[in-house]
Amino acid sequence: MRLRPRIFKKSPVYVALIAGALVMIFPFIWMISSSLKPNLYVIEYPPQLIPSNPSLENFLEAWNANNFQQYFRNSAFVAITSTLLSVTISAMAAYAFARFKFPGQETTFYVLLGVLMVPNIIVIVPQFFLMKFLGLRNSLWGLVLIYTATSLSLNTFLLRGFFEQLPHELEEAVLIDGGSYLTIFANVILPLSTPALATVSIFSFMGFWDEFVMALTFIDDPAKRTLPIAIALFQGQHGTQWGLVFAASLIALIPIFIFFFGLQKYFVGGLTTGAFKG
Amino acid sequence: MAISTNTQKKIIPYLFLAPAAVLFLLFLVYPLLKGFQISFYNWSIMPTKPSTFIGLDNYVKAFQDQVVGTAFKNTLIYTLITVPGQMILAMLAAVMIHNITRGKIFFRTLYYIPVITSWVIVSLLFRYLFQSPEGLINYFLVEVFHITPDPVGWLQQAGTAMIPVIGLGIWKGIGWSMIIYLAALASIPHEIGEAASIDGANTWQRFWAVTLPLIGPTVVFTLVMLLIGGFNVFISVYLITNGGPMQQTEVALSYMYHQAFDFIDFGYAASLSFLLAAVIVTGSLLQMKFLRRPVEIS
Amino acid sequence: MKSKKWLPLFVFMTIVAMLVGACAPAAVATPAPTTPAQVQKETVIVPQEVEKVVTATPPPSGPVTLTFWHGYNADTETPFLEKTVIPAFEAAHPNIKVQDVNIPYDQFHQKLLTAIAGGTAPDLARLDIIWTPEFGDMGALAPLDEVMSDFATYKDAVFPGPLSTNFIGGHYYGLPLDTNTRVLVYNKDVFSAAGIENPPATVDDFLADCAKIKALGANHWCFGDGGTYAWAVDPWIWSFGGAMTSPDYTTSTGYLNGAQTVAAYQFLKDGVDKGYIHPGIKGGGVDTWGLLGKGQIAMILEGPWFPPSFKSQFPDVKYGMALMPAGQGGSISVVGGEDIAMFQQSKNKEAAAEFIRFMLSLDTQLQMATVGQMPVLTETTSSENLAKLPDYFGIFLEQLKNAQARTPVSNWTRVEQILTDAGTAILNGKGTPQANLDDAVSKIDPLLPKPAQ
Repeated sequence: MRLRPRIFKKSPVYVALIAGALVMIFPFIWMISSSLKPNLYVIEYPPQLIPSNPSLENFLEAWNANNFQQYFRNSAFVAITSTLLSVTISAMAAYAFARFKFPGQETTFYVLLGVLMVPNIIVIVPQFFLMKFLGLRNSLWGLVLIYTATSLSLNTFLLRGFFEQLPHELEEAVLIDGGSYLTIFANVILPLSTPALATVSIFSFMGFWDEFVMALTFIDDPAKRTLPIAIALFQGQHGTQWGLVFAASLIALIPIFIFFFGLQKYFVGGLTTGAFKG
Repeated sequence: MAISTNTQKKIIPYLFLAPAAVLFLLFLVYPLLKGFQISFYNWSIMPTKPSTFIGLDNYVKAFQDQVVGTAFKNTLIYTLITVPGQMILAMLAAVMIHNITRGKIFFRTLYYIPVITSWVIVSLLFRYLFQSPEGLINYFLVEVFHITPDPVGWLQQAGTAMIPVIGLGIWKGIGWSMIIYLAALASIPHEIGEAASIDGANTWQRFWAVTLPLIGPTVVFTLVMLLIGGFNVFISVYLITNGGPMQQTEVALSYMYHQAFDFIDFGYAASLSFLLAAVIVTGSLLQMKFLRRPVEIS
Repeated sequence: MKSKKWLPLFVFMTIVAMLVGACAPAAVATPAPTTPAQVQKETVIVPQEVEKVVTATPPPSGPVTLTFWHGYNADTETPFLEKTVIPAFEAAHPNIKVQDVNIPYDQFHQKLLTAIAGGTAPDLARLDIIWTPEFGDMGALAPLDEVMSDFATYKDAVFPGPLSTNFIGGHYYGLPLDTNTRVLVYNKDVFSAAGIENPPATVDDFLADCAKIKALGANHWCFGDGGTYAWAVDPWIWSFGGAMTSPDYTTSTGYLNGAQTVAAYQFLKDGVDKGYIHPGIKGGGVDTWGLLGKGQIAMILEGPWFPPSFKSQFPDVKYGMALMPAGQGGSISVVGGEDIAMFQQSKNKEAAAEFIRFMLSLDTQLQMATVGQMPVLTETTSSENLAKLPDYFGIFLEQLKNAQARTPVSNWTRVEQILTDAGTAILNGKGTPQANLDDAVSKIDPLLPKPAQ
């Protein structure tokens, strides 16, 4: 009985939220609608939201005209490997910063933060020569290493904040029982930090999946292209066939949507437990 | 194998830091130093033509290059509009979603969809929507809402070509800040809000006096991250306007990238990078004390 | 314990990583083209040594894979190359595989420069004729007159005009692959709706027709083009009697800012202001084919790839073709086309030379003509061969008699940026044509080659 007036009172809020939600998703609806219009060589005017002859022709053509399975595997390999590496290495570094006192600690941490401030792209030119020198251009492992390296400062910063909040008592108990610091890290710190690790993993994964500039610059070999590069090239090749371009885009979006919706509860868990209180 | 705890305490942190340090030094610190060196050279890529040391010439050229001014100005405008834009709208959405009882997850998910979508895809999508004269945005403006009598040539004029880029920056970013604000709001104990409402404070006063200070560190965190993101703007410009028309929508990074990989003027590109870095570091030093806050509070 | 929550996530990601790793071994395990050893080797090669390296290379004995970068269009040309031309080459050369890489024109120059700088240039590329001087001057291309012992045969077999774009600093760095020019394409239905009987022969006719087409409504444009780059504005400049530079390309003063060039820009500006020319030319571009197909743009300028490709997109649209409308300078269009060039970084120069020979064979040239690639061999003009070419080539061959090339200088990319920006400023009403062109001239002149002593 009490619910009714409350909802009524909140109806302006719902109206505002629905209006906002429309703005957020209408471009996607439009994208889906365009992708279902076969052979759209021209822009329709006035635009039709509901396609008159919906068909999956564009999806078939995009899937067949392009090596999408290969690009998908490349993107998945790079994003997942980089995420695992980055989160592991950042967690180790964050542990060192959060639980030890060592000479140069402050300075090192500020260097880390300083690099965090500066956009990664500004070092793309010297990185380009470095990758060339190391023979890592046109290599997916090259992307993995550089993605991992560029994500370390943010992930270390976030995890350090979380680790610092953890109580010390358990660790002392481990040491008294004769355990090492590695035991503490693996058996105490990591299990207690699940939500933070999950959050950092998801943010990292999405960043890597999406990464465009480095893949654009370091990869020439078509067999090593990742999805963002493939989509941009695809648009260049089929400039005005937007239906086809959007069909290809939607195919590329499916994995990230599955990943996000599948892991959403971990993600939100990590946030509500306060990973971002720093 | 008994190593004394004290010895362990001295060595262990370095062992834990080692992998990060190696990658960090190799892929970021070394390139930073190398880039600084390159910026003083007329850098050649062909083995037959040696690179020549030209001192500050690249920097002098940058200060005389009108497009550099435009590009830095555009980066600044982009940041100054998109950062508050994202934060205010995200806060609004977060507070509303926090206060509703039904459909929380539904709305949260919808608002988050642009965030998880690739920059490349949404950039292409916005280029499509803002086409003129017959793009969808023009259709709404002219035929549906009758806001303008004639279609707007969005990408044809320097003045309007940044609008799709800025609009995209805000639209895509709202969900990211929103979800962080939602988490922060959820962590505020219920009693605090109730105590304030008993004191007779209205919604706005309660938000301003009670909620905002409590989630302050989170707001500062998003502010810093969004500022960094703002200066990082590149993909949307590269794919929507590619700096045109007349190089009037170049941002610092897109102009740098064009110099490097359209004109292979790597020395000049490196000097532009360091000018941008100088601007950012100066700004960051001013922010430093804010950044320290969330760390200390925890 | 909380670890229960963490565990599935970690296991999930590890499993996915393993699955992906397992099904992508080819993508991961293949050694990258630039192993450190190769990088060293590549830096060792300096031009003086190239001859030795090349002559010392035995003919390919083991299987080699050539990479060939091109910007053939995705609807008709690329499928034809991949399904017909390359398989024929591979059948004739069992030891050589060709991996072709299609890169859209807009991204081609940047991707290629990046690859050259990164030491991962392809073996071969199909270059817009306007890029060859830049890449040749940079030292990225192999001098074909030294690499191919039978180069003279090919040099004598092709049209001299397209060949000249490959001659840089005393060497030939490529061979022409195809040639083209732009002619006027018009939508016949729009012409009859507007009461126009014949395509415009002169600029004055063109303007008269534009007035009739504009009368069809605000959503109709007489003419459309994608921007103010040289490919778009040069035909108007030349037909108005103007020029980009002096004939020896050493100065643009008095040419690009000369009276006739200014008149050409004024004509374009007036066209945009009156609504004759689609505003996309001011920046941002326009889908000219789509709007021509819908009948909203009546006329465009297009090349010989247009008929087959347009037919695949708009099979029902009736169109006609005519020469560029003549102005004070006559009816002059722009010569386009592509060269095929080999890169210094190629480790398979013998095999690459074989592919060049194949692409320039009479059979291949005649085959590529079916998708709109105009041949460059002089023997294709024999009456016997001419009969094998598509009928629509006639108008293009006619226009080629009165067509000029864009300015072949090594700084072309920068020159064109300045030219494009000046045009955009003019069409957007930011300063008069004269003022903008004077400014452009002052920026372009330092980028042009110094006059010979």
